[in-house]
This record gives sequence, structure tokens and C-alpha cells, in this order.
Amino acid sequence: MAYSEGMAQSTRPSLPRTIYRYAVTTRVSHWLWAIAFAVLVSSGLQIFNAAPYLDASDKSDPARRVLAIDSPSQGVGTTTVLGRTFTTTGWLGWTDDGMGSKTGRAFPGWITIPAYQDLADGRRWHLFFAWIAAGCWIAWIVSAAIKGSLQEMVLRPSDLPKAWQMQLYYLKLRKEPPRHGTYNPLQKAAYTFVGFVLAPLVVLTGMALSPGIDAIASPLTVVFGGRQFARLWHFAGMMLLIGFFAVHVFQVATQGFLNQMNAMITGRFRLSERDGAGP
Amino acid sequence: MKRRIFLASSIGAALTGCSPIGTALNDNPGFHRMLGSVQGLNHLLIGTRGMAREYRDADVDRNFRTNGFSTPADAAYARMVAGGFRSYRLVADGAVERPHAFTLDELQRMPQQTQITRHDCVEGWSAIGKWSGVRLGDVLDAVSPRAGARYVVFHCLDNDGQGNLYYESLDLHQARHPQTILALRLNDAPLDPDHGAPVRLRVPTQLGYKSAKWVARLEFVGSYANIMAGHGGYWEDQGYEWYAGI
Repeated sequence: MAYSEGMAQSTRPSLPRTIYRYAVTTRVSHWLWAIAFAVLVSSGLQIFNAAPYLDASDKSDPARRVLAIDSPSQGVGTTTVLGRTFTTTGWLGWTDDGMGSKTGRAFPGWITIPAYQDLADGRRWHLFFAWIAAGCWIAWIVSAAIKGSLQEMVLRPSDLPKAWQMQLYYLKLRKEPPRHGTYNPLQKAAYTFVGFVLAPLVVLTGMALSPGIDAIASPLTVVFGGRQFARLWHFAGMMLLIGFFAVHVFQVATQGFLNQMNAMITGRFRLSERDGAGP
Repeated sequence: MKRRIFLASSIGAALTGCSPIGTALNDNPGFHRMLGSVQGLNHLLIGTRGMAREYRDADVDRNFRTNGFSTPADAAYARMVAGGFRSYRLVADGAVERPHAFTLDELQRMPQQTQITRHDCVEGWSAIGKWSGVRLGDVLDAVSPRAGARYVVFHCLDNDGQGNLYYESLDLHQARHPQTILALRLNDAPLDPDHGAPVRLRVPTQLGYKSAKWVARLEFVGSYANIMAGHGGYWEDQGYEWYAGI
């Protein structure tokens, strides 16, 4: 909810109150992570384009193909999901080649890094920013653990009943949110899932694609079902992260966009009467 | 309402801005070098350790997919195929104590290793093959690299049609890995021309482009900086990493 400062001052003289919400490590790692995520998605799609299909198997196996993006003829793009083929000309399969014309190419040039098809350079970007993303994640976890703020974020079993009450509140079926700390139970659930399940899973499935890592720690590749399966999980993890990103941006946009942006840049968050509501 | 338009347009700009900004930075040589700088870290951390997974006979792809280029087009190679590779020699020279030119027969009489391993292509696909041949470490023992030798450069009987010879390189640690072999056979038959006949390299701990086909010369060097474009291999000269374990 947008918050009107003037009105608040006239009705509740003690408000608004500004708190220092985000430490500098959190802010820097948040924005570096945002850049790294954008680059990892764009360069990842560039890499995907070199073999635009995903198999639920160890070695490549057309019989176990889950997704295939193809250009069966000039000017036609198709996407086959679990055996069902859709025409996706212009969006997938037959797309922009990043150099001003159209070609048989899975993901279009406007969404890949570099725009033109170049697997070697896509890999350079991907492997470099994978380290940036992993470094941010580690720096954030370590600093949050030292300061104790990790405890405010991680979902505990006792939060679970409150999560439902929070959902009812979001659906406007309940007047007041349940009592909670800095983050509400649904935020905790989302952050815990993304930060401690999804992000590590995307890193691990990426590592499982490496023949050098497979030779050192082959159980890693085996638990994901093999190399092609790991590639499928890596892609699915990216889709889930994009989903989280969309919800995250929606929440920021609808819960005091400028206040939230200001908080993630300067660290200072202006409290409304509902302490702690935010994405 | 204004805020939503602002937000929608900023997300739109972020989405569509990523590719052009990235492309512009990609064409900047300094930035390009910086991106490549993590290769050393990956090589240090992953390196060539452990053993590539070995599979069962039932897992083998009987029609093993051809990686890279297919049969070399030049007449000299065609003559060699027609002559049953009797004129073929694997020359080992450079910084070695005992340079030698191996005939195919000599290589076949050396102890053979068979491995059923997965070939992981840099493009993202994988295939499983049954490879037999000579451990590269045994060849190293036979020719005995001198103290100054740090790399083996594999010169191949192929070029890309634009005058660039196909070549690859490994450091001696990678060359001595027990699964690094000079393969003579694939799936219980002598290699066919598409798969690198008569001798191809197999490096299952790295991506497929390291496994050079049609190998005809092992040159032992202290540095590969003066060979072709100086990045240690044909694909490396096209921008791919020299360390292909990831």
C-alpha cells in the first residue's frame, strides 16, 4: 500500500519511523545478484541454443525428450513439450539472429548474451557470473549468520500455521496479519525456498554438467539422474527463479515501490503502521 | 498508475537492455579478457582428478554421434584411408629423449585399454561409446619427455577448409591420466573416418572438443604460445577455454 506521510503525521504523531533495515553487504549482494541473475539467464539461453532440447536421461536420448525447440523448415519455429508440438515462429525456433535478420535459432537474439549465436562467449559470461552469484550468496549468508539476521529469515516449523493466516490476510479474507518479526511467514517461506533450496540446486545442477566435477564427485551427477537430466533440472530451476523474480517485483511494486527501492539502495526503510510489511 | 507505467517500462528496459549492453561489452577486448579470467580458478579447483564414470555395455550408443567435423576432405587423407592406413605414422617429437614414429601396427601391439565412457559435448549433448586403445601415459613412457616439456600438442590430419589446421593440447598431468587414451577402436570396430580414424584422442574428464580426431603427431613443447593463434587448440583459438573440465 502506498503510504501518505502527511496523513500519518496528523493522525499518529509518532509515525513515520525510519529504520535501518538492510546492511551494506545485503544491499551490494542484492544488486550484484540481480545483475548476475540477468546475465546468467541471458548467457544460459545462449548456451541452451547450441543444443535446444532437454532429455530426462543421462546421455542424450530422443526417446526421453521433454522439450525441443526446432525450425523444421525455413521461416517456421516450433516448440515440442512432452510430445506436443506448437508453432512458435518469431518467439522460439525461428527467431532474431541478433544481427538484424531471422534464422533457425531457439531463443531470440534480443534475450541472449551476446545477441548473435556464440557458444564460446556465452560460456565465458556464464562461468564468470556464476562465480559472482555464488560469491554474493556466500558473502550474504556469512554476514547474515554473523549478525544473526539469518534467524529472522529462515522458516521454522512454528511459522507454518501463521503462513496460512498470512495468506488469508493477503487475500483480504482476514483483517490483521499474524504477529511476526521483520519478515512475515510467507516471506520467510519464499526466501528460505529460494535462498536455501532453489539457488543451491541451480548451482549444483550446473556443476553436475561438468565432466571434470563428474569425475571427482560422480554421485552429484547421478542423484540428478545423469548429465542430460541435470541439464533439465538446471533449466527448470532457472524457470522457477524467474517465477520468484516476477512475484518479487510485483510485491515491491505494490507495497510502496519507492520506499522499498530506497531501502535496498540506502538501507533506510520507512515503517508504516503495520510494522514489517514488505516483500 | 504512473508508478506502474514507470515500473513496467523499467522492467522492460532491464529485460531488453541486458542483451545489447552485454553484446557491446562482449566486443570490448578488456572485458572479454576479464570474463575469461575465471578459467584459471576453475582449472585449479576442478583440475584433472578422480576417474570419469565407466558404463555397462548395454549403455553404449551403437551409432555414436559424430562430433566436430566429419571425414577430412583432402586427398592425402583419402589416399591413407584407401591404403588401409599402412602409410600412417604417429610421430612423437619435440622435447623428448627418444623421438619415434609409431606405425598403426606398433600401436596395436602395445597394451590396450577399453573404457565405456560418456562423451560430453560443449554444445550440451552426451553420448556413450566403448573406446579401446593405448594409454597416452604409455606413449609418454616410450618417448620420455624432457624436463622442459610441459604440454603435448596433438596435430591432426584435418583443417577447417580455411587453412586452419586442427590441433589440441594437454598438459603432461592430463596426458598421464589413466583414462586419457589414444583410441584405435570405437564400439568393437576400428575407428571409421568420421570418428577420427585411425587414431583419436579420448579425454573423458574434459569436454568433447579436447578429444581430437585424426591425430598424427604428438609434439612435446614447453609452451603452445607460438603454435597457430597461440591458445593451445583449434577451438581454443575460436574462443573456447583451454581447460575444458567444465
